[in-house]
Amino acid sequence: MLAAGELPDNHNRQFEPSNFEPTTPRVLTILSFVLERIVARNDQLADGLSQQVNGVSYGSARLGKSLNVFHGVRAPNISIPNYLERIYKYTNCSPSCFVVGFVYIDRLVHKHPDSLVVSLNVHRLLVTSIMVASKMLDDEHYNNAFYAKVGGVSNAELNRLEIELLFLLDFGIMVTSRVFESYCLHLEKEMLLAGTNQRIERALVDDVTEISVDDTQTSSPPQVAVVD
Amino acid sequence: MAIAAPGQLNLNESPSWGSRSVDCFEKLEQIGEGTYGQVYMAREIKTGEIVALKKIRMDNEREGFPITAIREIKILKKLHHENVINLKEIVTSPGPEKDEQGRPDGNKYKGGIYMVFEYMDHDLTGLADRPGMRFSVAQIKCYMKQLLTGLHYCHVNQVLHRDIKGSNLLIDNEGNLKLADFGLARSFSNDHNANLTNRVITLWYRPPELLLGATKYGPAVDLWSVGCIFAELLHGKPIFPGKDEPEQLNKIFELCGAPDEVNWPGVSKIPWYNNFKPTRPMKRRLREVFRHFDRHALELLERMLALDPSQRISAKDALDAEYFWTDPLPCDPKSLPKYESSHEFQTKKKRQQQRQHEDAAKRQKLQHPQQHTRVPPVQQSGKGHPQMRPGPTQPMHGSHPPVAAGPSHHYGKPRGPPGGPGRYPNQPNRGGQGGGGGYGSGPYPQGRGPPYGSSSMPGPRGGGSSNYGVGAPNYPQGAPYGGSGPGRGSNMMGGNRNQQYGWQQ
Repeated sequence: MLAAGELPDNHNRQFEPSNFEPTTPRVLTILSFVLERIVARNDQLADGLSQQVNGVSYGSARLGKSLNVFHGVRAPNISIPNYLERIYKYTNCSPSCFVVGFVYIDRLVHKHPDSLVVSLNVHRLLVTSIMVASKMLDDEHYNNAFYAKVGGVSNAELNRLEIELLFLLDFGIMVTSRVFESYCLHLEKEMLLAGTNQRIERALVDDVTEISVDDTQTSSPPQVAVVD
Repeated sequence: MAIAAPGQLNLNESPSWGSRSVDCFEKLEQIGEGTYGQVYMAREIKTGEIVALKKIRMDNEREGFPITAIREIKILKKLHHENVINLKEIVTSPGPEKDEQGRPDGNKYKGGIYMVFEYMDHDLTGLADRPGMRFSVAQIKCYMKQLLTGLHYCHVNQVLHRDIKGSNLLIDNEGNLKLADFGLARSFSNDHNANLTNRVITLWYRPPELLLGATKYGPAVDLWSVGCIFAELLHGKPIFPGKDEPEQLNKIFELCGAPDEVNWPGVSKIPWYNNFKPTRPMKRRLREVFRHFDRHALELLERMLALDPSQRISAKDALDAEYFWTDPLPCDPKSLPKYESSHEFQTKKKRQQQRQHEDAAKRQKLQHPQQHTRVPPVQQSGKGHPQMRPGPTQPMHGSHPPVAAGPSHHYGKPRGPPGGPGRYPNQPNRGGQGGGGGYGSGPYPQGRGPPYGSSSMPGPRGGGSSNYGVGAPNYPQGAPYGGSGPGRGSNMMGGNRNQQYGWQQ
């Protein structure tokens, strides 16, 4: 479980790129919190359903058909907060990518109401959507091969997940600053309801601070860190 | 998790992209070929509609889905305008791969992913370069107006195109012009506070602020490119054919004057200003060099080619310029002549043979500089000055061998001789994929071949580096003003470069 109290520990962390702000962006904390709640709820729901129909295969098929490709055989050992932190630490993507990645996952479940984000698929969904967000937003970003290493999946699988995500989203990957802001507010509200008052850093955005073009030099360490 | 901005849900226009197979289309012929893959002309079987299919190259495993394609799709999905190319859908092809048990291997995209565009017959550069082609003033106004209208639409939607050039302006046989290739495009914010890359826009059309290293910029960058195209249409050839960045800046300074704090407040703070600052004073010569242009055209051009981006005219204001509201008015696109559709790819072999032939001929005519020259527009009678323009008489042009029914499309093919000086010395790598000509996301180099006549080449007029030589007639007599003149263009295989550029209506 994450908690805001974990933050100070991170000050001691070594970040390879030196111009990096040595705190975990709050968005990671908030996003972890929100996702863990969703996953816990959905896991329960999925369990209940599969028991009802007396067959796991039926249950999971019914719940996640469109997300099947994201399903692992068993849930990875790494917790959501640690996974997000790992992605952030190694890929150096901008904090905004986590919000936009969340937007993608949210769009996904809305577009495909038969799908649930559960512990079996949340990691793959996260690494894929954050990677796509980073491709959209960041001036410099790592390539799929690197994200695959960080995310613990094979390059080929991540490529397949990427394409799957793009098509499931119907390529609706534009996130305007208005939408971005509304998601930030939503995430913050969730925290507030949980009794913690935290604000997401609005480093972004619009699809507006996104990209530039020479970001194909993906194997070099990113130099642009938009933190706060 | 469940929030959506108002109106965000259930807005799906059509069936999901990617839900259909490429088998819904019958490939008619390949119309483009390049490192990016292929572009096909195809017919939708159900409707009979003709489309262009651009295959997205997926063979770089480490990169995954090409970023230029993602961005182009993302942006085109949001833009809907009659002067912006319409991305109709994305289709997939499952491919033949099976796993060990003979089942499909679960990768339904192995066979390929295609972008489906509306089919366009030509691109502006290809059209202008056609043998016997000659644009009227009303036609140029018509194209310029459409170009600015499309661009204005992009800009109000906060999209910078960042690669405006002739080969990215597609034209159909109804006379409609559409912006294409959004592989370099991006959203921008109005405050210009974001740091953007300055390594965009094909060199010849790249504005001075980018060449000087600015990373905060806005829609004005596109307007510079439009100015270059505008001048090119009137002038008959590219006006800033630099071979690298320094030469590009120099060519700009020669025509537009050198920037200083007076004519461009703040210029000295742009990163590379001091590296490129000219050592001698250079005056703005635009009006002098292009004095033969129509007055209103010159006025508009002046404002598009303003060195200081903050003084450069916007697309919207350009549309209000006198130029578009004085006689001859922009014509109705539908009234434009229809040109036979043709594609460079189809005539490639023929061209190669021709090129070999020409190379042989060229070796005998040593030291003839190459010039890219088109004939200026037909002047309306009673208007303006004669537009006899300049440029060398060049019977040969190695990089543009004549060809029957000249190509109107580039589809991403470099058109110059191989091995020439690169036109894109410092272009961002666009992921090694891309599109044919205007169909987008093409890797550089694309569009026209390498620049011609660097300053070190002896100019035809002995005139050093100037491109704007006024004087020597560059086309055979009688051609330029013959509105519906004699059939000079008919001898297209004649191998005579002058005939290539003797535009006609």
